[in-house]
Amino acid sequence: MAGRLAGPLFTLVIAWSLGALLWRMVRWVRTPQPVPVPLTPAPRTRAGVLARLGAELFAFRSLFRASRITWAASLALHYGLLGILLVHARFLMPVLPTWMVPVLQISGWATLLTLTGIAVLAARRMLIDRLRWISVPSDHLHLVLLATIVLGGAALKRWWPTDLYATGVFLRGALTLDWQPPPMHAGLWLHLGSVLLLIAVFPISKLVHGLAIPFTPTWNTRGR
Amino acid sequence: MKRPMKRLYPIIPLIEERAARDQVPHRADAPTSEALGYPGELVEDWQARAIERLGERVAGSRALRVFMDSCTRCGACTDKCHYFLGTHDPNNMPVARQELLRAVWRRYHTWSGRWFPWLVGARDLTRERLDDWYRYFHQCSECRRCAVFCPQGIDTSEVSMAGRDILATVGLGQRYGQTIVEKAGRLGNNLGLKRPALADVLESLEEDILEETGVAVRLPLDRTGCEILVVTPSADFFAEPHVDGLIGYAKVLHAAGVSWTFSSHASEAANFGLFAGNLEQERQLAERLMTAVITLGVSRLVIGECGHAWRVAGARLPALVGDLSMLAKGRAEHLCELTVELLQAGRIRLDPARNAGVVATYHDSCNVARGAMMGERADGAFELPRRLLRAAVPEFVEMAESSTRRQTFCCGGGGGLLSDELLPLRVQGAEPRARALRSVVDERAVTHLVAICAICKTQFGSVLPAHQLGQVQVTSLHALVGDALVLAVPPGDPDRHEAPVT
Repeated sequence: MAGRLAGPLFTLVIAWSLGALLWRMVRWVRTPQPVPVPLTPAPRTRAGVLARLGAELFAFRSLFRASRITWAASLALHYGLLGILLVHARFLMPVLPTWMVPVLQISGWATLLTLTGIAVLAARRMLIDRLRWISVPSDHLHLVLLATIVLGGAALKRWWPTDLYATGVFLRGALTLDWQPPPMHAGLWLHLGSVLLLIAVFPISKLVHGLAIPFTPTWNTRGR
Repeated sequence: MKRPMKRLYPIIPLIEERAARDQVPHRADAPTSEALGYPGELVEDWQARAIERLGERVAGSRALRVFMDSCTRCGACTDKCHYFLGTHDPNNMPVARQELLRAVWRRYHTWSGRWFPWLVGARDLTRERLDDWYRYFHQCSECRRCAVFCPQGIDTSEVSMAGRDILATVGLGQRYGQTIVEKAGRLGNNLGLKRPALADVLESLEEDILEETGVAVRLPLDRTGCEILVVTPSADFFAEPHVDGLIGYAKVLHAAGVSWTFSSHASEAANFGLFAGNLEQERQLAERLMTAVITLGVSRLVIGECGHAWRVAGARLPALVGDLSMLAKGRAEHLCELTVELLQAGRIRLDPARNAGVVATYHDSCNVARGAMMGERADGAFELPRRLLRAAVPEFVEMAESSTRRQTFCCGGGGGLLSDELLPLRVQGAEPRARALRSVVDERAVTHLVAICAICKTQFGSVLPAHQLGQVQVTSLHALVGDALVLAVPPGDPDRHEAPVT
């Protein structure tokens, strides 16, 4: 029973998340900004603005200025996650194409990178008095959730194997509304459940932060 | 050039709960608040009205809307605010200051905060919290240094401005700021100077300059048909050391043979509507500038040494008053741009030997550094004033890199906090600048601290003695430029025949 409900639930949560993210972006765009508030020196050209946003989005430039350790940990976390997502693209493909084989090789490094990032960010949140003071429960829980997902995934891959082919069938089914039950496997259910929770809270939590960057008026405004 | 002291704070101070609790600005009196359209005292339904006003503010500002959503509490900003570094009060960490407002926003305006306040750190708007808003939104000088380090580009000044506006809307206005806005709106300047008094001041300054230099330098008021209108903070007309800067402006413009004037209608560059987060007040004050431009028939609007005035005129003017096509460059200009232009064109000559013995360092004023562009180059706001200073003094020294240019620290008195009752806060807020300054005083024998902002100059004059730096002379950039200036009669100008040729 639960197995048959898993597919529709997955579809529903993904649809909710995408819809809510879209709604949030529309609301950012439609909120007026009556006076420009560029943080200067600001680029004078459109290309310059794009370069500025790109440096923030992909290299976390301002964070680099603020704290090298936080910057390195954040970069590790985000690029590690990107690597993990790439590896997971295998589940979208019924037959593994040969060019995916080298991509799969980064799995271990990506996991390690992500976990290191999470560990450093969690440690500083707990150890530095200023960070402890500003943290709210959900800040810690986001890190716990991410760690659960990554550790669970690593366990599935290395020590607690499940039927990867059936997992792929389930996932593709959820995305194409051709719902199939996932393998009955406690480890997989823990992994999928925590991923589902992450997707569900993504648009209504601070996890949206990256999407907000292009809409930030201090950066996306040209200096005169 | 080798800069002394790379890290101003090798160790970040530990937080001290509510250390700055007692530093609260005086509340505005009822008549002033009412004259500005605010309630005279705290309204009975303050909670509902504050929550409603918060919703309006967020709905009316994309910046605020994005900033409410995008903070991750990563802590990058926590050691960047001069008031935190000076007071150690954790509510002066920029993220904590934002959270004062954001936690209430979540509680009443988001789904997660309504249902799971304990989980996401949402807070009720209690009277205690409202008082914390008043306290800590007035311990922010809206200098935007934190925004330079925020990986989301969050600008705490937008939060503080919104917070102050909400407070005023429910009847908790700040006396210093509201008194100034009311006076500037009614009389044209923050000091409440009327035209005859202003004319007297300018006339006596002309006499002083003639006596000192033997040159009849004019300080024209309301002269029509000039090329340039200079609008400057009214402190320049009276306060020390500001007035020496004003004399410097006049000498430069005289030496270059520029036709220019002050205006009695727009006798104030400062615009405390910005600090109050009240766009309507800001617009009304800015419109005085445009009225003066049009009635005097000038083609260039030049802003004197005032930090936030330059932010308003340089970055916000078109949005506030609309079309600027009556101005030759289609925009307002900064006095430093003009002086550099005159220097490069050979219309003025500076001789640093006239400032013999001066070892100067430059304080980038926050609003100039981070609020608007100056000149044509991207780093004009940093380079143009330095170019003038280097040309005017025999020795120029930079302070620590983490305290200059885009990373400059606020003087500790900006954002409408320059009132007497906040003096202890201002002393503490100046601590980072004082550290950087002390290092160049000790190692490089710096004698002069140069600024191009009226607030910075007043603030440093009051607080540097408390940091045992009273021997450093706080100076207007244009005072040193004026002292280095080679005053001569422009050839073929009959108006200036009384001036001696050097």
